[in-house]
Amino acid sequence: MSIDTNTIVYFLEIVVGGLLVGIGVHFVPVGGAPAAMAQATGIGTGTVQLAAGSGLTGLLSAGLMMSVTDNIWPILATGAVGAMIMMDATMLTGSWIYAYAVGAPFASAKVNYDPITKFSQPPYVAPGTVGQGIPTVCFVSGTIGAAMGGIGGAMIYYPLMQINGNPAMSAIFAIGIFMVDAVLASWNIQGTIEGFHDPKFKKWPKAFKACLVSTVILGLVAVLIVPLAGGV
Amino acid sequence: MDAFGMGLVAAMGALATVAGASEDIDSDIGSQSNPNSQVQLAAQVGNPHRIYNKAIAGEPPSNALWCTTAAIMAYVLIEGFQMPLLFAAVAGASLAALFDGVMSTSAYLGRNASQARFNQWIYLDILRYTTPSIMAHVWITSFCIVLISIIQVYVLTPHHPFPIPVIALIWGLTVGAIGSSVGDIHYGGEREFQWRLFGQGLNTMLSGQIVRKAEAGLRNSIDNAWFCAKFGGPCTGMGFGLTVFLDNWRTTVFDPVTQAGAAIAMGLFFVIVMNLYNFYCEVSARRKYGPYPGYKGDIAA
Repeated sequence: MSIDTNTIVYFLEIVVGGLLVGIGVHFVPVGGAPAAMAQATGIGTGTVQLAAGSGLTGLLSAGLMMSVTDNIWPILATGAVGAMIMMDATMLTGSWIYAYAVGAPFASAKVNYDPITKFSQPPYVAPGTVGQGIPTVCFVSGTIGAAMGGIGGAMIYYPLMQINGNPAMSAIFAIGIFMVDAVLASWNIQGTIEGFHDPKFKKWPKAFKACLVSTVILGLVAVLIVPLAGGV
Repeated sequence: MDAFGMGLVAAMGALATVAGASEDIDSDIGSQSNPNSQVQLAAQVGNPHRIYNKAIAGEPPSNALWCTTAAIMAYVLIEGFQMPLLFAAVAGASLAALFDGVMSTSAYLGRNASQARFNQWIYLDILRYTTPSIMAHVWITSFCIVLISIIQVYVLTPHHPFPIPVIALIWGLTVGAIGSSVGDIHYGGEREFQWRLFGQGLNTMLSGQIVRKAEAGLRNSIDNAWFCAKFGGPCTGMGFGLTVFLDNWRTTVFDPVTQAGAAIAMGLFFVIVMNLYNFYCEVSARRKYGPYPGYKGDIAA
């Protein structure tokens, strides 16, 4: 078994990918079950599930791109775009239901004014709730989070593919690393966050450290498993 | 770009739309995912009901399980026994529906039995005629997703390098995430609480006070499917259909080898358009409904 420069670069790519996933989750505006009852701002589902849904859609796009090219940049970019398309389609169709079925105007309870549109928020927050719907700042934040998740997923997949050359094994391993980092970040934000304007967002350094430790361990396993086991 | 590829991408988009809609209606009939918290709470706050209650897992993992189960069976039939693709997809979806039937039944019996102290009954008639409709919807979802995976791996060029079960796992997770984020709002935010004032989110004080009476008689889960199939289901289908169609369209129209930049730029264009559309929705909702009348703060609307 030998460790050359390439192995170290692959290892670093996996670590950076994991960190991107961990930080990206902080951008995704998820309100959990209360949001599905229009009781909280954001998307009505769990953090990990949504991050996984978008990041893995990006992984599918990145996998397709990697089957035709070895250049890392289009692979990362197409991973980001695939994830952003999934996240935006989800948020947009969710907005239709908030606006046209529940009939609630979008409002965040964490800020008085939307940082992007400067719209006032408190007058539109229904009594007994902490906001509802997906205001512009949450939508933009979700798009950024999806892009980071997509790049992260692709960045984990790329070196794994270079190491073992098996798309199925690399994809499953990438999904595993993705889930670990998404869950760690989700614990850090206690399951719900509105986006980069939420006060909880300031806690990201804690998730950064936790994801760093976990991804270093997983990255070591990933780069050593093929040399140690003698390939597949 | 070739016409055959475009036709396939359009077929994938259509299959994804159907899969998304049936996935959402399956979760509405079973009260899975987010709205389950209210159905579960209802009996505990003194409102026993006749709504089906199955929370096997979160929607994304459970759908990933059905779709992967179906895809593994299809994969074995195709690779090991050289069966026709369509037959393999049908057989796989049937297996997934059977798995779902077993888990739904045990979830309904277990959850309601554990609430016996709150006077919540197990209704055998509900179990008998609701479980098959859940299984039917799971069949449709997993059939469509296995077919999308088969198209991506065997037919559409460039062929996807992942095997069918991995693609089905990812699409299953994605369709569940979309169903949980989109369709659940229609069921949890609107259908479960139709007696509160229209146009506001659920007041925390009303948690668990779900509607238990139907247009005639007592409400059951089939009534909920009838309501949610009008808007929540199609919206979920639209969300998943857009994801599958737009993501594959850009790499089919533009050759990923020579025109990778154009494919990425086209994706970014879609993202910007969707951001603008959401802004339009926000502005139109604020204009139509206005601020809440009881607001007493000092920030102008």
